Amino acid sequence: MADATPPPPPPVEVSPPPPPPTNAGSPTDFLKGVVGKRVVVRLTSGVDYRGVLSCLDGYMNIALEQTEEYVNGTVTNRYGDAFIRGNNVLYISAAEPL
Amino acid sequence: MASQILPLELIDRCIGSRIWVIMKTEREFTGTLTGFDDFVNMVLEDVTEFEITPEGTKKTKLAQTLLNGNNICMLIPGSNGPDDA
Amino acid sequence: MDPSSGIQEPFDLIRLSLSERVFVKLRGDRELTGILHAYDGHMNLILSDVEETIMIVEQVEGAPEGQSTVNIAKRKMNMLFVRGDGVILVSPPSRT
Repeated sequence: MADATPPPPPPVEVSPPPPPPTNAGSPTDFLKGVVGKRVVVRLTSGVDYRGVLSCLDGYMNIALEQTEEYVNGTVTNRYGDAFIRGNNVLYISAAEPL
Repeated sequence: MASQILPLELIDRCIGSRIWVIMKTEREFTGTLTGFDDFVNMVLEDVTEFEITPEGTKKTKLAQTLLNGNNICMLIPGSNGPDDA
Repeated sequence: MDPSSGIQEPFDLIRLSLSERVFVKLRGDRELTGILHAYDGHMNLILSDVEETIMIVEQVEGAPEGQSTVNIAKRKMNMLFVRGDGVILVSPPSRT
């Protein structure tokens, strides 16, 4: 028979929210998120450039600020600004949380 | 016509999974694939880089990384890399 | 938008360096400094008043690993065309 407490109402049916805009993973999305951040750019030669990513283009040509050049883990040069030709780039990696 | 799957469709099905990337040179990467483009430039998370030299393999951990497709040779879906093979 | 420089694409860095002395790192352990007169989308460059530095690393026969001598050669050129595919890095003069 009737209980003292009514059954809990069924959960309200709402259309599930769209998935949150995850840091959607394509290269373009990555690059949008990483401009202005500290990055490591490694060249195919193994040389690393650490600096703030100013901008880049479709060839992966890169402009970096406050750039430090690392060879075998030691700083070998510093540049206020640096243009890196994209064909030399092995990867661009975020060096701070995005 | 048998069901045809394009190579990049296979890679598309790997998004969100671990993948092992072998470069043309003695260098490999593993990570979680978040996306890629028509040049097979790839974005990976929780990355380990393996530099293979006669003296041994040097491992480097990396955060989110855009890997240039130019130097990629092979991709192994679902694998955690050389330590896993 | 970077207020200090107004750089929207990497080539802007180069455009803002025209008529200035730039540092250029090339494949084959070559480095140049010179006045930048012209460039194009391949990064072909025209430089004047150029000094080239070449590092020649010599692994001494029988010496332990990592034991090598570096010889540095320098030379000067009045006017120089650089083919873009050899360019690794171009750094403009510091604008600070």
